[in-house]
Amino acid sequence: MPYADPDPTDPTLLVGVEVPAEEDSDLEMAYAFAEEFARLGFSQQRLLSLFRQSFYAGAYRALQRLGEEKISSIIKETLQVWDNFRFVIHDSPERFDVSLDSLRPLEPHHQQHEDGP
Amino acid sequence: MSRVYNWQLGREMSYPYDGKYPERQFAFVFNINRCIACQSCTMACKSTWTFSKGQEHMWWANVETKPYGGYPQFWDVKILDLLNQTNPDGQRWTGSVSDNGKSPYGQFSGQTIFEAGEKTLQPQSARVLGYLPSDEEWNSPNIYEDNPVGKRGIRDKLHETGEQLPVHNTWFFYLARICNHCTYPACLGACPRKAIYKRPEDGIVLLDQSECRGYRKCVEACPYKKTMYRGNTRVSEKCVACYPRVEGTDPESEGQPMETRCMAACIGQIRMQGLVRLNSDGTWAEDRQHPLYYLVHVAKVALPLYPQFGTSPNGYYIPPRWVPREYLRQMFGPGVDRAIERYNNPDRELLAVLQLFRRSNRIIFRYEIKEGPLVYEGTYRGRPVRIYNDTVIAFGKNGKELFRTTVEEPLHVRPAKHQNSI
Ligand code: SF4
Ligand code: SF4
Ligand code: SF4
Repeated sequence: MPYADPDPTDPTLLVGVEVPAEEDSDLEMAYAFAEEFARLGFSQQRLLSLFRQSFYAGAYRALQRLGEEKISSIIKETLQVWDNFRFVIHDSPERFDVSLDSLRPLEPHHQQHEDGP
Repeated sequence: MSRVYNWQLGREMSYPYDGKYPERQFAFVFNINRCIACQSCTMACKSTWTFSKGQEHMWWANVETKPYGGYPQFWDVKILDLLNQTNPDGQRWTGSVSDNGKSPYGQFSGQTIFEAGEKTLQPQSARVLGYLPSDEEWNSPNIYEDNPVGKRGIRDKLHETGEQLPVHNTWFFYLARICNHCTYPACLGACPRKAIYKRPEDGIVLLDQSECRGYRKCVEACPYKKTMYRGNTRVSEKCVACYPRVEGTDPESEGQPMETRCMAACIGQIRMQGLVRLNSDGTWAEDRQHPLYYLVHVAKVALPLYPQFGTSPNGYYIPPRWVPREYLRQMFGPGVDRAIERYNNPDRELLAVLQLFRRSNRIIFRYEIKEGPLVYEGTYRGRPVRIYNDTVIAFGKNGKELFRTTVEEPLHVRPAKHQNSI
Protein backbone atom coordinates (compact mmCIF):
# COMPACT_ATOMS: atom_id res chain seq x y z
CA MET A 1 0.00 0.00 0.00
CA PRO A 2 2.55 2.65 0.96
CA TYR A 3 4.61 1.89 -2.12
CA ALA A 4 1.88 2.69 -4.58
CA ASP A 5 0.94 6.18 -5.74
CA PRO A 6 -1.11 7.99 -3.15
CA ASP A 7 -4.77 7.24 -3.53
CA PRO A 8 -6.83 10.28 -2.56
CA THR A 9 -9.81 8.08 -1.73
CA ASP A 10 -7.92 5.94 0.77
CA PRO A 11 -8.94 7.31 4.17
CA THR A 12 -6.02 5.83 6.09
CA LEU A 13 -3.06 6.66 3.93
CA LEU A 14 -2.80 10.33 3.23
CA VAL A 15 0.79 10.63 2.12
CA GLY A 16 1.12 13.33 -0.50
CA VAL A 17 -2.61 13.88 -0.60
CA GLU A 18 -4.06 17.32 -0.13
CA VAL A 19 -6.55 17.16 2.68
CA PRO A 20 -9.29 19.70 2.06
CA ALA A 21 -8.53 22.79 4.08
CA GLU A 22 -9.96 26.20 4.58
CA GLU A 23 -8.39 28.79 2.35
CA ASP A 24 -5.44 30.52 3.99
CA SER A 25 -4.63 27.60 6.27
CA ASP A 26 -0.92 28.02 5.40
CA LEU A 27 -1.17 31.62 6.42
CA GLU A 28 -2.85 30.71 9.69
CA MET A 29 -0.18 28.11 10.34
CA ALA A 30 2.60 30.64 9.73
CA TYR A 31 0.98 33.25 11.99
CA ALA A 32 0.50 30.68 14.73
CA PHE A 33 4.17 29.60 14.70
CA ALA A 34 5.41 33.19 14.60
CA GLU A 35 3.20 34.26 17.48
CA GLU A 36 3.86 31.21 19.65
CA PHE A 37 7.61 31.59 19.50
CA ALA A 38 7.55 35.38 19.67
CA ARG A 39 5.66 34.95 22.95
CA LEU A 40 8.56 32.80 24.12
CA GLY A 41 10.91 35.69 23.47
CA PHE A 42 12.41 34.67 20.11
CA SER A 43 14.11 37.47 18.20
CA GLN A 44 13.41 38.25 14.54
CA GLN A 45 16.51 36.33 13.51
CA ARG A 46 15.66 33.25 15.54
CA LEU A 47 12.10 33.27 14.25
CA LEU A 48 13.25 33.41 10.66
CA SER A 49 15.75 30.62 11.20
CA LEU A 50 12.96 28.52 12.67
CA PHE A 51 11.02 28.87 9.41
CA ARG A 52 14.17 28.08 7.42
CA GLN A 53 14.80 24.90 9.39
CA SER A 54 13.79 22.00 7.16
CA PHE A 55 13.60 19.63 10.13
CA TYR A 56 10.77 21.74 11.51
CA ALA A 57 8.54 20.64 8.67
CA GLY A 58 5.48 22.70 9.59
CA ALA A 59 7.14 26.08 9.57
CA TYR A 60 9.39 25.08 6.67
CA ARG A 61 6.41 24.17 4.47
CA ALA A 62 4.78 27.47 5.33
CA LEU A 63 7.92 29.27 4.16
CA GLN A 64 8.05 27.22 0.96
CA ARG A 65 4.42 27.97 0.22
CA LEU A 66 4.28 31.63 1.15
CA GLY A 67 7.81 32.79 0.36
CA GLU A 68 10.38 34.48 2.55
CA GLU A 69 9.00 37.96 1.99
CA LYS A 70 5.59 37.05 3.33
CA ILE A 71 7.04 35.15 6.28
CA SER A 72 9.27 38.11 7.13
CA SER A 73 6.30 40.44 7.09
CA ILE A 74 4.34 38.06 9.35
CA ILE A 75 7.27 37.95 11.76
CA LYS A 76 7.55 41.75 11.76
CA GLU A 77 3.83 42.16 12.39
CA THR A 78 4.01 39.72 15.29
CA LEU A 79 7.07 41.31 16.82
CA GLN A 80 5.40 44.72 16.71
CA VAL A 81 3.42 43.41 19.67
CA TRP A 82 5.64 40.85 21.34
CA ASP A 83 8.95 42.62 21.04
CA ASN A 84 7.85 45.40 23.36
CA PHE A 85 8.57 43.45 26.49
CA ARG A 86 9.83 40.10 27.62
CA PHE A 87 8.98 37.61 30.33
CA VAL A 88 11.56 37.24 33.06
CA ILE A 89 11.76 34.24 35.35
CA HIS A 90 13.00 34.51 38.90
CA ASP A 91 13.76 31.21 40.58
CA SER A 92 12.92 31.02 44.23
CA PRO A 93 16.18 31.20 46.23
CA GLU A 94 15.48 27.80 47.78
CA ARG A 95 15.36 25.99 44.49
CA PHE A 96 17.75 23.25 43.56
CA ASP A 97 16.98 22.82 39.83
CA VAL A 98 19.26 24.13 37.16
CA SER A 99 17.81 27.50 36.28
CA LEU A 100 16.16 27.51 32.87
CA ASP A 101 17.67 30.88 32.16
CA SER A 102 21.11 29.35 32.43
CA LEU A 103 20.20 27.01 29.58
CA ARG A 104 19.18 29.76 27.19
CA PRO A 105 21.41 30.33 24.15
CA LEU A 106 24.06 32.95 24.60
CA GLU A 107 22.77 35.04 21.74
CA PRO A 108 22.42 38.61 23.03
CA HIS A 109 18.76 39.42 23.49
CA HIS A 110 17.15 41.64 20.89
CA GLN A 111 20.11 41.41 18.60
CA GLN A 112 18.14 43.05 15.84
CA HIS A 113 18.34 46.36 17.70
CA GLU A 114 22.09 46.38 17.64
CA ASP A 115 22.32 49.25 15.25
CA GLY A 116 19.18 50.93 16.41
CA PRO A 117 18.99 54.38 17.91
CA MET B 1 -20.82 -3.91 33.74
CA SER B 2 -21.15 -1.12 36.30
CA ARG B 3 -22.51 2.36 35.73
CA VAL B 4 -20.02 5.17 36.23
CA TYR B 5 -20.18 8.91 35.61
CA ASN B 6 -17.97 10.24 32.81
CA TRP B 7 -17.97 14.06 32.97
CA GLN B 8 -16.20 14.35 29.60
CA LEU B 9 -19.27 12.71 28.03
CA GLY B 10 -21.70 14.54 30.31
CA ARG B 11 -23.41 11.28 31.25
CA GLU B 12 -23.20 7.88 32.90
CA MET B 13 -21.70 5.00 30.96
CA SER B 14 -20.91 1.30 31.36
CA TYR B 15 -17.52 0.20 32.67
CA PRO B 16 -16.34 -3.30 33.68
CA TYR B 17 -15.65 -2.18 37.30
CA ASP B 18 -17.14 0.22 39.81
CA GLY B 19 -15.74 3.73 39.71
CA LYS B 20 -12.80 4.18 42.11
CA TYR B 21 -11.11 7.54 42.17
CA PRO B 22 -7.66 8.44 43.41
CA GLU B 23 -6.89 11.12 45.97
CA ARG B 24 -5.08 13.10 43.26
CA GLN B 25 -5.03 12.32 39.54
CA PHE B 26 -1.97 12.51 37.29
CA ALA B 27 -2.93 14.86 34.43
CA PHE B 28 -1.21 17.00 31.82
CA VAL B 29 -1.80 19.74 29.27
CA PHE B 30 0.04 19.86 25.94
CA ASN B 31 -0.12 23.06 23.89
CA ILE B 32 0.06 21.60 20.38
CA ASN B 33 0.40 25.02 18.79
CA ARG B 34 4.05 24.94 19.74
CA CYS B 35 5.15 21.33 19.19
CA ILE B 36 7.99 21.18 16.67
CA ALA B 37 8.29 17.38 16.55
CA CYS B 38 11.85 17.51 17.79
CA GLN B 39 11.17 14.15 19.50
CA SER B 40 13.18 15.13 22.58
CA CYS B 41 10.28 13.86 24.71
CA THR B 42 10.26 10.55 22.88
CA MET B 43 13.98 10.07 23.36
CA ALA B 44 13.90 11.21 27.00
CA CYS B 45 11.44 8.41 27.72
CA LYS B 46 13.33 5.88 25.68
CA SER B 47 16.68 6.62 27.27
CA THR B 48 15.12 6.38 30.72
CA TRP B 49 12.81 3.40 30.48
CA THR B 50 12.84 1.37 27.26
CA PHE B 51 16.41 1.26 26.04
CA SER B 52 17.12 -2.43 26.61
CA LYS B 53 16.92 -5.50 24.35
CA GLY B 54 13.64 -5.64 22.43
CA GLN B 55 13.19 -1.90 22.69
CA GLU B 56 12.62 -1.26 18.98
CA HIS B 57 8.83 -1.08 19.16
CA MET B 58 8.54 0.37 22.64
CA TRP B 59 7.56 4.01 22.20
CA TRP B 60 5.74 4.86 25.40
CA ALA B 61 6.06 8.48 24.34
CA ASN B 62 5.71 9.36 20.68
CA VAL B 63 5.02 12.34 18.43
CA GLU B 64 3.12 11.84 15.19
CA THR B 65 2.13 14.07 12.26
CA LYS B 66 -1.59 14.53 11.94
CA PRO B 67 -3.54 13.85 9.79
CA TYR B 68 -0.87 11.84 7.94
CA GLY B 69 0.43 9.47 10.52
CA GLY B 70 0.05 7.72 13.81
CA TYR B 71 1.82 5.21 16.00
CA PRO B 72 0.92 2.45 15.54
CA GLN B 73 -0.13 3.44 12.04
CA PHE B 74 -3.80 4.39 11.66
CA TRP B 75 -4.61 3.78 15.35
CA ASP B 76 -7.24 6.48 15.61
CA VAL B 77 -8.78 5.98 12.19
CA LYS B 78 -9.16 2.28 12.90
CA ILE B 79 -10.90 2.61 16.24
CA LEU B 80 -13.12 5.43 14.98
CA ASP B 81 -14.06 3.22 12.07
CA LEU B 82 -14.84 0.24 14.32
CA LEU B 83 -17.08 2.40 16.47
CA ASN B 84 -18.81 3.75 13.42
CA GLN B 85 -19.45 0.24 12.13
CA THR B 86 -21.01 -0.70 15.45
CA ASN B 87 -23.14 2.40 15.63
CA PRO B 88 -23.50 3.74 12.06
CA ASP B 89 -24.02 7.49 12.01
CA GLY B 90 -24.77 7.48 15.72
CA GLN B 91 -21.44 8.76 17.07
CA ARG B 92 -22.67 12.25 17.82
CA TRP B 93 -22.70 14.89 20.50
CA THR B 94 -25.89 16.58 21.64
CA GLY B 95 -26.61 19.43 24.00
CA SER B 96 -24.29 22.38 24.11
CA VAL B 97 -21.01 23.40 25.66
CA SER B 98 -21.51 25.01 29.05
CA ASP B 99 -19.79 26.06 32.24
CA ASN B 100 -21.13 23.04 34.08
CA GLY B 101 -18.11 21.04 35.27
CA LYS B 102 -20.19 17.84 35.08
CA SER B 103 -20.89 18.24 31.35
CA PRO B 104 -18.72 21.00 29.90
CA TYR B 105 -18.94 19.64 26.34
CA GLY B 106 -22.64 18.69 26.26
CA GLN B 107 -23.54 14.98 26.02
CA PHE B 108 -22.08 12.27 23.89
CA SER B 109 -25.03 10.30 22.56
CA GLY B 110 -23.00 7.68 20.71
CA GLN B 111 -21.31 4.58 22.04
CA THR B 112 -18.03 4.33 23.92
CA ILE B 113 -15.64 1.42 23.38
CA PHE B 114 -17.15 -0.21 26.50
CA GLU B 115 -20.75 0.21 25.31
CA ALA B 116 -19.96 -0.89 21.78
CA GLY B 117 -18.14 -3.91 23.24
CA GLU B 118 -21.13 -4.80 25.40
CA LYS B 119 -23.39 -4.65 22.38
CA THR B 120 -21.32 -6.58 19.88
CA LEU B 121 -18.63 -8.74 21.44
CA GLN B 122 -18.86 -12.44 22.19
CA PRO B 123 -18.01 -14.08 24.55
CA GLN B 124 -18.94 -11.91 27.50
CA SER B 125 -15.34 -11.98 28.72
CA ALA B 126 -14.41 -9.69 25.82
CA ARG B 127 -15.31 -6.43 27.44
CA VAL B 128 -13.92 -3.67 25.26
CA LEU B 129 -14.18 -2.96 21.54
CA GLY B 130 -10.69 -2.77 20.07
CA TYR B 131 -8.22 -4.39 17.72
CA LEU B 132 -4.65 -5.66 17.70
CA PRO B 133 -2.41 -3.63 15.41
CA SER B 134 -0.35 -5.67 12.97
CA ASP B 135 3.44 -5.95 13.27
CA GLU B 136 3.78 -3.75 10.22
CA GLU B 137 1.80 -1.01 11.93
CA TRP B 138 4.07 -1.13 14.99
CA ASN B 139 7.30 -1.42 13.04
CA SER B 140 8.16 2.06 11.89
CA PRO B 141 7.18 5.09 13.93
CA ASN B 142 6.70 8.20 11.78
CA ILE B 143 7.08 6.34 8.50
CA TYR B 144 5.82 8.42 5.55
CA GLU B 145 4.64 11.16 7.86
CA ASP B 146 6.85 14.09 6.97
CA ASN B 147 9.00 12.54 4.27
CA PRO B 148 8.16 11.33 0.83
CA VAL B 149 7.85 7.64 0.09
CA GLY B 150 10.42 5.65 -1.82
CA LYS B 151 10.13 4.76 -5.47
CA ARG B 152 7.18 2.61 -6.35
CA GLY B 153 7.79 -1.07 -5.67
CA ILE B 154 11.28 -0.60 -4.23
CA ARG B 155 11.53 -1.13 -0.51
CA ASP B 156 13.99 0.44 1.92
CA LYS B 157 15.44 2.89 -0.58
CA LEU B 158 14.64 6.56 -0.80
CA HIS B 159 13.93 8.06 -4.17
CA GLU B 160 17.07 9.67 -5.58
CA THR B 161 15.31 12.82 -6.66
CA GLY B 162 13.11 12.94 -3.63
CA GLU B 163 12.22 16.57 -4.08
CA GLN B 164 9.82 15.59 -6.84
CA LEU B 165 7.86 13.29 -4.58
CA PRO B 166 4.67 14.37 -2.93
CA VAL B 167 4.85 16.48 0.20
CA HIS B 168 2.00 17.76 2.27
CA ASN B 169 0.97 20.97 0.61
CA THR B 170 -1.58 21.71 3.24
CA TRP B 171 -2.12 21.94 7.00
CA PHE B 172 -0.72 19.44 9.43
CA PHE B 173 0.30 19.40 13.06
CA TYR B 174 2.27 17.33 15.52
CA LEU B 175 0.45 15.31 18.14
CA ALA B 176 2.60 14.33 21.10
CA ARG B 177 1.22 11.37 23.03
CA ILE B 178 1.83 9.34 26.15
CA CYS B 179 -0.50 7.07 28.14
CA ASN B 180 -3.44 9.14 29.38
CA HIS B 181 -3.62 7.41 32.78
CA CYS B 182 -7.33 7.27 32.13
CA THR B 183 -9.95 7.57 34.84
CA TYR B 184 -11.65 4.51 33.28
CA PRO B 185 -8.69 2.68 31.74
CA ALA B 186 -9.64 0.31 28.94
CA CYS B 187 -6.39 -1.60 29.43
CA LEU B 188 -7.27 -2.27 33.06
CA GLY B 189 -10.87 -3.16 32.21
CA ALA B 190 -9.81 -5.71 29.61
CA CYS B 191 -7.06 -7.56 31.49
CA PRO B 192 -8.31 -11.02 32.50
CA ARG B 193 -5.51 -11.39 35.07
CA LYS B 194 -6.07 -8.05 36.79
CA ALA B 195 -2.41 -7.29 36.18
CA ILE B 196 -3.15 -3.62 35.53
CA TYR B 197 -4.04 -1.32 38.40
CA LYS B 198 -4.63 2.35 39.08
CA ARG B 199 -2.81 3.77 42.07
CA PRO B 200 -5.08 5.30 44.73
CA GLU B 201 -2.61 8.06 45.56
CA ASP B 202 -2.05 9.57 42.10
CA GLY B 203 -4.20 7.68 39.58
CA ILE B 204 -1.14 6.43 37.68
CA VAL B 205 -2.02 3.27 35.74
CA LEU B 206 0.64 0.56 36.09
CA LEU B 207 1.04 -2.90 34.62
CA ASP B 208 2.41 -5.57 36.96
CA GLN B 209 4.65 -7.62 34.68
CA SER B 210 4.93 -10.46 37.21
CA GLU B 211 1.16 -10.99 36.79
CA CYS B 212 1.09 -10.45 33.00
CA ARG B 213 1.01 -13.55 30.78
CA GLY B 214 1.16 -11.65 27.49
CA TYR B 215 -2.47 -12.18 26.40
CA ARG B 216 -2.40 -8.69 24.88
CA LYS B 217 -5.97 -7.93 25.89
CA CYS B 218 -4.78 -4.51 27.06
CA VAL B 219 -3.05 -3.86 23.74
CA GLU B 220 -6.27 -4.72 21.95
CA ALA B 221 -8.45 -2.62 24.27
CA CYS B 222 -6.49 0.60 24.75
CA PRO B 223 -8.01 2.91 22.13
CA TYR B 224 -4.86 5.06 22.22
CA LYS B 225 -2.65 2.00 21.73
CA LYS B 226 -0.46 2.91 24.65
CA THR B 227 0.17 -0.55 26.02
CA MET B 228 2.76 -2.46 24.03
CA TYR B 229 3.74 -6.10 23.86
CA ARG B 230 7.45 -6.84 23.94
CA GLY B 231 8.31 -10.02 22.07
CA ASN B 232 11.49 -10.94 23.92
CA THR B 233 10.04 -10.55 27.44
CA ARG B 234 6.66 -11.98 26.36
CA VAL B 235 4.82 -9.52 28.53
CA SER B 236 3.18 -6.17 27.88
CA GLU B 237 4.40 -2.83 29.12
CA LYS B 238 3.34 0.78 29.24
CA CYS B 239 4.23 4.30 30.38
CA VAL B 240 4.81 4.38 34.13
CA ALA B 241 4.30 8.15 34.37
CA CYS B 242 7.87 8.33 35.71
CA TYR B 243 6.30 7.56 39.09
CA PRO B 244 9.47 7.95 41.18
CA ARG B 245 9.68 11.57 40.02
CA VAL B 246 5.97 12.22 40.59
CA GLU B 247 6.21 10.66 44.07
CA GLY B 248 9.28 12.69 44.91
CA THR B 249 11.27 9.52 45.58
CA ASP B 250 13.67 9.99 42.67
CA PRO B 251 17.03 10.95 44.20
CA GLU B 252 17.08 14.13 42.15
CA SER B 253 13.70 15.26 43.44
CA GLU B 254 14.71 15.74 47.08
CA GLY B 255 11.27 14.76 48.28
CA GLN B 256 9.33 17.24 46.14
CA PRO B 257 7.16 15.97 43.25
CA MET B 258 8.86 16.44 39.91
CA GLU B 259 7.39 16.43 36.42
CA THR B 260 8.07 13.38 34.25
CA ARG B 261 11.07 12.97 31.94
CA CYS B 262 9.10 13.62 28.74
CA MET B 263 7.64 16.82 30.22
CA ALA B 264 10.96 18.13 31.51
CA ALA B 265 12.72 17.48 28.18
CA CYS B 266 10.23 19.41 26.04
CA ILE B 267 12.04 21.85 23.76
CA GLY B 268 8.91 23.61 22.51
CA GLN B 269 7.85 24.19 26.14
CA ILE B 270 4.45 22.82 25.29
CA ARG B 271 3.95 20.59 28.36
CA MET B 272 2.73 21.01 31.90
CA GLN B 273 1.95 18.09 34.18
CA GLY B 274 0.35 18.03 37.59
CA LEU B 275 -1.79 16.21 40.11
CA VAL B 276 -5.42 17.31 40.33
CA ARG B 277 -8.00 16.70 43.05
CA LEU B 278 -11.11 14.68 42.20
CA ASN B 279 -14.62 14.53 43.67
CA SER B 280 -16.19 11.27 44.77
CA ASP B 281 -17.82 10.83 41.32
CA GLY B 282 -14.61 11.33 39.35
CA THR B 283 -15.33 14.93 38.35
CA TRP B 284 -12.61 17.48 39.11
CA ALA B 285 -12.84 19.12 42.52
CA GLU B 286 -12.80 22.89 42.34
CA ASP B 287 -9.25 24.11 42.82
CA ARG B 288 -9.32 27.58 41.33
CA GLN B 289 -5.62 28.36 41.65
CA HIS B 290 -4.38 25.04 40.23
CA PRO B 291 -2.97 25.69 36.74
CA LEU B 292 -4.42 22.51 35.20
CA TYR B 293 -7.83 23.13 36.78
CA TYR B 294 -7.68 26.64 35.37
CA LEU B 295 -6.77 25.51 31.82
CA VAL B 296 -9.31 22.66 31.67
CA HIS B 297 -12.24 23.97 33.72
CA VAL B 298 -12.01 27.75 33.92
CA ALA B 299 -10.42 28.99 30.69
CA LYS B 300 -11.45 25.70 29.02
CA VAL B 301 -8.68 25.99 26.45
CA ALA B 302 -7.39 22.44 27.05
CA LEU B 303 -9.47 19.49 25.84
CA PRO B 304 -9.31 15.70 26.23
CA LEU B 305 -8.06 13.60 23.30
CA TYR B 306 -10.93 11.65 21.68
CA PRO B 307 -13.20 11.87 24.74
CA GLN B 308 -15.84 9.85 22.86
CA PHE B 309 -13.81 6.66 23.39
CA GLY B 310 -15.06 6.81 26.98
CA THR B 311 -11.92 6.15 29.03
CA SER B 312 -11.88 9.71 30.42
CA PRO B 313 -8.27 10.34 29.42
CA ASN B 314 -6.25 12.68 31.64
CA GLY B 315 -4.17 14.15 28.81
CA TYR B 316 -5.52 17.52 27.64
CA TYR B 317 -4.55 19.48 24.55
CA ILE B 318 -4.74 23.11 23.56
CA PRO B 319 -5.85 22.50 19.95
CA PRO B 320 -3.79 23.81 17.02
CA ARG B 321 -5.59 26.90 15.86
CA TRP B 322 -4.95 26.64 12.12
CA VAL B 323 -6.51 23.20 11.62
CA PRO B 324 -9.99 22.74 10.08
CA ARG B 325 -12.58 22.70 12.82
CA GLU B 326 -14.34 19.52 11.67
CA TYR B 327 -11.16 17.56 12.15
CA LEU B 328 -10.51 19.11 15.55
CA ARG B 329 -14.09 18.52 16.72
CA GLN B 330 -13.71 14.85 15.94
CA MET B 331 -10.43 14.69 17.83
CA PHE B 332 -11.19 16.89 20.84
CA GLY B 333 -14.99 17.08 20.99
CA PRO B 334 -17.38 20.02 20.85
CA GLY B 335 -15.30 22.25 23.14
CA VAL B 336 -12.94 23.11 20.25
CA ASP B 337 -14.49 26.35 19.05
CA ARG B 338 -14.65 27.87 22.52
CA ALA B 339 -11.08 26.75 23.26
CA ILE B 340 -9.64 28.31 20.10
CA GLU B 341 -11.60 31.51 20.48
CA ARG B 342 -10.23 31.98 24.01
CA TYR B 343 -6.71 30.93 23.15
CA ASN B 344 -6.64 33.36 20.21
CA ASN B 345 -7.78 36.19 22.46
CA PRO B 346 -6.15 35.36 25.78
CA ASP B 347 -7.26 37.40 28.75
CA ARG B 348 -4.93 38.64 31.42
CA GLU B 349 -5.07 35.51 33.55
CA LEU B 350 -4.65 33.09 30.63
CA LEU B 351 -1.56 34.95 29.42
CA ALA B 352 -0.12 34.71 32.90
CA VAL B 353 -0.88 31.00 33.32
CA LEU B 354 0.65 30.23 29.91
CA GLN B 355 3.89 31.60 31.37
CA LEU B 356 4.00 28.71 33.81
CA PHE B 357 4.81 26.11 31.15
CA ARG B 358 8.28 24.60 31.60
CA ARG B 359 9.70 27.21 33.93
CA SER B 360 10.51 24.51 36.47
CA ASN B 361 10.78 20.75 36.68
CA ARG B 362 8.82 20.73 39.95
CA ILE B 363 5.12 20.01 39.84
CA ILE B 364 3.11 23.18 40.38
CA PHE B 365 0.26 22.83 42.87
CA ARG B 366 -0.94 26.42 42.98
CA TYR B 367 -0.34 29.78 41.33
CA GLU B 368 -1.02 33.35 42.32
CA ILE B 369 -1.09 36.47 40.20
CA LYS B 370 -0.03 39.88 41.48
CA GLU B 371 -1.44 42.45 39.13
CA GLY B 372 0.81 45.15 37.73
CA PRO B 373 0.42 48.16 35.41
CA LEU B 374 -0.49 48.07 31.73
CA VAL B 375 2.74 47.94 29.73
CA TYR B 376 1.46 47.62 26.19
CA GLU B 377 -1.73 48.36 24.32
CA GLY B 378 -2.19 47.85 20.60
CA THR B 379 -3.76 45.61 17.99
CA TYR B 380 -2.67 42.39 16.36
CA ARG B 381 -4.46 41.19 13.22
CA GLY B 382 -7.38 43.42 14.08
CA ARG B 383 -7.71 42.17 17.65
CA PRO B 384 -7.01 44.40 20.62
CA VAL B 385 -4.02 43.31 22.73
CA ARG B 386 -3.30 44.50 26.25
CA ILE B 387 -0.30 43.31 28.19
CA TYR B 388 0.10 43.96 31.90
CA ASN B 389 3.18 43.63 34.01
CA ASP B 390 1.59 40.91 36.11
CA THR B 391 3.72 38.67 38.28
CA VAL B 392 2.70 35.03 38.30
CA ILE B 393 4.02 32.98 41.20
CA ALA B 394 4.11 29.17 41.23
CA PHE B 395 4.04 27.12 44.43
CA GLY B 396 5.06 23.49 45.00
CA LYS B 397 3.51 20.74 47.08
CA ASN B 398 5.04 22.01 50.31
CA GLY B 399 3.43 25.41 49.70
CA LYS B 400 6.78 27.06 49.02
CA GLU B 401 7.43 29.28 46.03
CA LEU B 402 9.08 27.58 43.04
CA PHE B 403 9.54 30.59 40.78
CA ARG B 404 7.85 33.75 39.55
CA THR B 405 7.70 35.38 36.15
CA THR B 406 7.31 39.06 35.45
CA VAL B 407 7.11 41.19 32.33
CA GLU B 408 9.89 43.61 31.56
CA GLU B 409 10.42 46.12 28.85
CA PRO B 410 13.57 45.25 26.95
CA LEU B 411 16.89 46.77 27.74
CA HIS B 412 18.73 47.93 24.64
CA VAL B 413 22.48 48.01 25.17
CA ARG B 414 24.49 50.24 22.86
CA PRO B 415 27.00 48.01 21.07
CA ALA B 416 30.66 48.58 21.87
CA LYS B 417 31.54 50.07 18.47
CA HIS B 418 29.04 52.88 19.01
CA GLN B 419 29.87 53.53 22.66
CA ASN B 420 31.55 56.91 22.11
CA SER B 421 29.74 57.96 19.00
CA ILE B 422 27.57 60.70 20.48
S1 SF4 C 1 -4.26 5.43 27.57
FE1 SF4 C 1 -4.56 3.25 27.24
S2 SF4 C 1 -2.90 2.31 28.39
FE2 SF4 C 1 -3.15 4.38 29.18
S3 SF4 C 1 -4.58 4.16 30.92
FE3 SF4 C 1 -5.77 4.71 29.10
S4 SF4 C 1 -6.47 2.75 28.31
FE4 SF4 C 1 -4.74 2.30 29.69
S1 SF4 D 1 5.68 9.90 31.69
FE1 SF4 D 1 7.71 8.92 31.87
S2 SF4 D 1 7.30 6.80 31.33
FE2 SF4 D 1 5.54 7.96 30.59
S3 SF4 D 1 5.98 8.51 28.45
FE3 SF4 D 1 6.72 10.20 29.73
S4 SF4 D 1 8.89 9.73 30.13
FE4 SF4 D 1 7.89 7.84 29.43
S1 SF4 E 1 9.85 17.66 23.12
FE1 SF4 E 1 8.04 19.00 23.09
S2 SF4 E 1 8.26 20.18 21.18
FE2 SF4 E 1 9.63 18.41 21.02
S3 SF4 E 1 8.38 16.84 20.01
FE3 SF4 E 1 8.14 16.52 22.22
S4 SF4 E 1 6.28 17.64 22.74
FE4 SF4 E 1 6.95 18.40 20.74
